[in-house]
Amino acid sequence: MELKELLKKEHVLLDLDANSRDESLDELIKVMQNTGVVEDAAVYKEAVLNREAEGSTGIGFGVAIPHGKSTGVSEPGLAFARLTNEIDWQSLDGNPVTSVFMIAIPEEQAGNEHLQILSQLSRKLMHEDFRQKLQDASSSDELLAALEA
Amino acid sequence: MTKLVAVTACPTGIAHTYMAAEALDQAAKGKDIEMKVETQGSVGAENELTAEDIREAHAVILAVDTNVDEERFAGKNIIRVGVSEAIKNADGLIDRAVNMEEKSTEEHDEQVSKQEKNEGKGFYKHLMNGVSFMIPLIVAGGLLMALSFAFGVKDSPEEGSLPFYLNEIGGLAFSMMVPVLAGFIAYSISDKPGLAPGLVAGLIADEVGTGFLGGIIGGFLAGYVALAIKKYFKVPKNLEGLMPVLIIPLLATLITGLSLFYVINDPVAAMMTGLENWLQSMSGANAILLGLILGGMMAIDMGGPVNKTAYAFASGLLASELFGPMAAVMAAGMTPPLGVWLATVFVKNKFNPEQREAGKAAGVMGISFITEGAIPFAAADPFRVIPALVVGSATAGALTMAFDVLLRVNHGGVFVLFIGDAVTNVFLYALAIAIGAIVTALLVALFKRKPEQVTEA
Repeated sequence: MELKELLKKEHVLLDLDANSRDESLDELIKVMQNTGVVEDAAVYKEAVLNREAEGSTGIGFGVAIPHGKSTGVSEPGLAFARLTNEIDWQSLDGNPVTSVFMIAIPEEQAGNEHLQILSQLSRKLMHEDFRQKLQDASSSDELLAALEA
Repeated sequence: MTKLVAVTACPTGIAHTYMAAEALDQAAKGKDIEMKVETQGSVGAENELTAEDIREAHAVILAVDTNVDEERFAGKNIIRVGVSEAIKNADGLIDRAVNMEEKSTEEHDEQVSKQEKNEGKGFYKHLMNGVSFMIPLIVAGGLLMALSFAFGVKDSPEEGSLPFYLNEIGGLAFSMMVPVLAGFIAYSISDKPGLAPGLVAGLIADEVGTGFLGGIIGGFLAGYVALAIKKYFKVPKNLEGLMPVLIIPLLATLITGLSLFYVINDPVAAMMTGLENWLQSMSGANAILLGLILGGMMAIDMGGPVNKTAYAFASGLLASELFGPMAAVMAAGMTPPLGVWLATVFVKNKFNPEQREAGKAAGVMGISFITEGAIPFAAADPFRVIPALVVGSATAGALTMAFDVLLRVNHGGVFVLFIGDAVTNVFLYALAIAIGAIVTALLVALFKRKPEQVTEA
């Protein structure tokens, strides 16, 4: 499994016009529902919100990584949105969010390869030049290329 | 150069664990500090810290929101923070860690060697794990069977009656005893993938009649086979997910099962036949010697082939109106649990709290002639406890023969004493059992060391 299998082209929203955390979550869930990654949007969203309630997934540097492991998910998936408006996410560093990576994981997941991919992504997010590339990407292809690098 | 180690872990183990690890790595690199970060995420521990890493480290940073085993860091400088603190402020954490006072490694070494001693070299740790899961089954099953005896033991309970069901439930609980022992020994060795092969190995040990000793062997076999497969059996990456759920359990169960049947089944059957013939040839010899041998056999494996042979031999003699050996066998079957019970009462400090509780139940099982009550003690420390049990049982067996006690029923324990004609020389019989139990208790107290692993209650 590779990153681009998780982050399908349709899952990339380069200029999402959302005004709240919830709205951005709904948009990202919708694109993953369209590709069949998310089966039951309501069930999955509940898992994501529960995770947020445990502690914000706004990791700082303008990035949030909402995620949920849920029966509402049929296959592992990843979606990305770059926001036109800054959104408050109660981030660790207090700064608003401009990039959102959303992670969907099925409840029953025997293999763990996708988890390794996500852990690598998480590591990359800690690097400033990587975050800059996310900001600068002008197409979903460019974004995917940055991720694969 | 200062060396630091860290562990990161978060509840979901998907993102923050790794971000914190990366942040620490980055910050350390910027300060030219050697850093090793172990991540405990949902894929398990990665980049694991070795004992050497920990020993050499100036300080340990635990950026964790879940419980991690801190014992291995005993005696070190430790900074405990939430995982988000490491993401937000890795630089500050590292500064704090570096500025901590230098600690000599002596204290750490001492603590670690103490832990290693406590845990016993793996072997006892795995045994204790199995025993600890087995104890509730023995206690529940044994007490229910004892309760059913209390309704009367002269005739077998009538099918469908309360004592019948009590006995049934107790028996079923006992039938899980060896599988659970073997299963959780294997679980302790190789984690979840070892459980299924271990349980099956225990069932096979029961099936081929090897009792708990066979279960211990089967459990270790299953555990190490599963571990070996996990380590040396390489599959393509995209099949890795199948390892813990399909490949390891399947192969480990197959290998363990076949080896048990092919390697252990036949020798055990041959041994039982051999023992039986030997006992037959002994029956004309000195009665006290026969009592001694039968008694010892009862305690060697408690429910295993040797015990069963002795019991079947004595039961068979009832039909020939020879009642002495049966008395010896029952007395010898009562002293192991009675003896360990006495030992847990009088030398408390050699047992962990769990065993002390199991000791009380063993007392009840002892008076009911349910020898299995001693198994948790024998299984936890076979090389020290079994010899003690054997000597005590042999003493009791020899004494009942010397006292010329006769017993006409082959079960029931203390409850048969209330039946007029079941036993002759009741008081001498009780005396023989008491002496046997005291000998057992004294020897257990003498042989046994302080608990190998203190299980916190």
